[in-house]
Amino acid sequence: MSRSSMTRRRRVAAVALSALVATALAACSSGGGSAASNDSATSGDITWWGWTPDIGVAQGYIAAFNKEYPDIKVTFKQLTIDGYNAALRPAIASSDGPDVYNVSAGSANGGVDVYGSGAIDLAPAVEKSLGADWKDKLAPSGITGLSVKDKLVGLSAGSVYSGTVWINKDIFDKLGLEPPTTFDEWKTDCAAIEASGTTCFVQGAGQPAFDMDTFEAIAENVEPGLYVDASQGKAKYTDAKLVKAFTLWKQLFDDKIMQEGALGVQQYPDANNLFMSQKAAMVMMGTWYTQYTRPDAMTSAISAAGVADPKPFTMAPIAFPDMAGTGNVGAMYGDADYGLAVSARSDAKNAATTFALWLGTSKAGQQAVADSLNDIPALKGVQPAWDSIDLVNPEAQKSLLEDMITNAEKSTAPRFATISADMNTAIGSALTSIAEGTATPEEAAATLQTTAESLR
Amino acid sequence: MPHTEVETMSQSTAVRPVRRRPALAAGRPARGRRNRMQATGWPWILPAVVLVVGLVYYGIGYTGYISTLDWDGVSPTPEHVGAANYAHLLKDPVFWLAVRHTVVFFVVTFAVQTVIGFVFAALMHSTVRLRALYKVVVFMPVVLAPATMAPVFRQFFGVDGQLNWMLRHVGLDSLAQPWLAQSSTALPVIMAITVWQWTGITFILYYAAMSQIEPEILEAARIDGAGNVRSLWSIVWPMCRGTTAAMAMLGVIGALKTFDVPYLVTIGGPNYATEFLGTLIYRVSIPQTHVGYGAALSVTLLVLALAGAIATALRSRKGGRSDV
Repeated sequence: MSRSSMTRRRRVAAVALSALVATALAACSSGGGSAASNDSATSGDITWWGWTPDIGVAQGYIAAFNKEYPDIKVTFKQLTIDGYNAALRPAIASSDGPDVYNVSAGSANGGVDVYGSGAIDLAPAVEKSLGADWKDKLAPSGITGLSVKDKLVGLSAGSVYSGTVWINKDIFDKLGLEPPTTFDEWKTDCAAIEASGTTCFVQGAGQPAFDMDTFEAIAENVEPGLYVDASQGKAKYTDAKLVKAFTLWKQLFDDKIMQEGALGVQQYPDANNLFMSQKAAMVMMGTWYTQYTRPDAMTSAISAAGVADPKPFTMAPIAFPDMAGTGNVGAMYGDADYGLAVSARSDAKNAATTFALWLGTSKAGQQAVADSLNDIPALKGVQPAWDSIDLVNPEAQKSLLEDMITNAEKSTAPRFATISADMNTAIGSALTSIAEGTATPEEAAATLQTTAESLR
Repeated sequence: MPHTEVETMSQSTAVRPVRRRPALAAGRPARGRRNRMQATGWPWILPAVVLVVGLVYYGIGYTGYISTLDWDGVSPTPEHVGAANYAHLLKDPVFWLAVRHTVVFFVVTFAVQTVIGFVFAALMHSTVRLRALYKVVVFMPVVLAPATMAPVFRQFFGVDGQLNWMLRHVGLDSLAQPWLAQSSTALPVIMAITVWQWTGITFILYYAAMSQIEPEILEAARIDGAGNVRSLWSIVWPMCRGTTAAMAMLGVIGALKTFDVPYLVTIGGPNYATEFLGTLIYRVSIPQTHVGYGAALSVTLLVLALAGAIATALRSRKGGRSDV
């Protein structure tokens, strides 16, 4: 072969490589087109993306699903909570993204207002599955929270509610303490717990979303419904009763209920790890924490908290103490934990819809959700099969868990569904400023109201 | 500067052999060969050019376009808002707070890293026992990923962390405090972590720069009666000017790009106390879904980085000329 011919070939190869690179880049930027939807509803390979449930729980759902639909292979990919939105945005713009993905209400992860545009409307499929009265059969928070302009973006697997404080009952029993029901009792209990060398109450106040949970509990204690009204523009954040709630929030820090340095702590992993490693006796968590009343899940959680020899302990939910002295206690507020959305760009939409329908509307799927104790089922009438669920301490826990679930099911108050991402940031900022003492409750409330009005 | 040192430098330059290309030595026409090289070289660099232009410059251009939109990053119908995002940026107090943090961060971390790195490099050039071990110890943090170290620092600077434990055990209880939970201490903690992590690079670069200094120059200084400190200040430091300038430029760009440590350790808090442009861009673009505004911030960051790099380069060039 002559030298010039070799050189020419090399040049051609280099130009071809350039063209290949350019084509690849063009393909990357174009994101591909919309896929066909004539796939089978009973067979296929689908991928499911979500930040929740935990991988073991998801695999349990998939195994139960495959008993009915053995020819649909579901691959679950769990992403981090913080990284979910960043990963999802380009993924749903591509036909190579997930077939099914988690969405949630309002300003929470995968908010339907933003990520709903990449999903198909599931309402016709649900109607076909449950009948014309399907809305009566499902929890309302899962329908209103996961719909955008009559389009059912996601099918709720279940809901989570906040408003509860979880206690380490073993620590309370060991110290001869009763769970607090008032602010004074809370302070007394904390003094005794701290004296024993254990942190009393831990909150990751560095993660504002969880601060909002605690604040909503206080606000519900002061005046039920006022905080939600303010989030919907029906009341002002400068209302005297909300200012009082902000003042009580500050008191949690001033009266040392909150652990020292709470603003530098994150709920996950820090606060969760402190509670799971039994270094803290109380933590503000919601119904999602129920899953850890099961010995296997709790052992894993304790181990993940860095404990070398994990041993389950008795944890139980209690109502948020009556800080304001109003008697308005036991409020719970929640949204759909996550809904399954079917990507409009999926090439297996029918199989993906089958999976979403099974998990969100079938009795078998919802029983699996209920028994995982991760979410409160979306399908009305489905309860955890307590007799077959192993608890760490059934005598101490079962009735408290049943009461909490019953209480949550009655709730209609939203958690994040009525709060936009911008207001979420603003409320978090207000609470942090008050806690740190850089703004008074009145100043923070005024700033919040101004922000709320500017965003409307 | 003493006369003898200048002479020594001139001599050392004069005797250095000049390397020539073999082609030139053989008397071939250099220009014709360069032209041929250019003609045949283009196809070889074309893939890289396409890749760089396609990824980097296209990305910058596209970000510039997005910065004129009111867009959540997903919606198929973004709204054109012209320069509104830039106007909003100028009125955003958190943006100015992030800029202020960036300036403070650069000044402090650059100054501290330079001093520690320079002094340590000088020490390592002297006869110190276990030099190799010290070098490894200083450079080790550079190779550790911030994501790996973040939980360690969260623990170390926590209320019940090792720092407070140490303070309490040496009788400095009054200094123990929630370092990450206070606006007044969170930023200094972030700067301390950065200094810990990147001083190794400063040290290595100064160490390499000092290795290039002809021993005769230092010898001449000693003959003229200069002590260690005088030699370091009057001979070594000026001769490391290029390294200092390069690190200043990298420091400006690094400060503007700061993201991982504040995001992983404090999430930009408490109360925006450790907010930087990088964390602000992420928070605005991802959780708050204002992709257009995030793009405007990104473009601003790029402009600031370029301006900072040019300013430091000009400053160092000017400084270099004034020395001659």
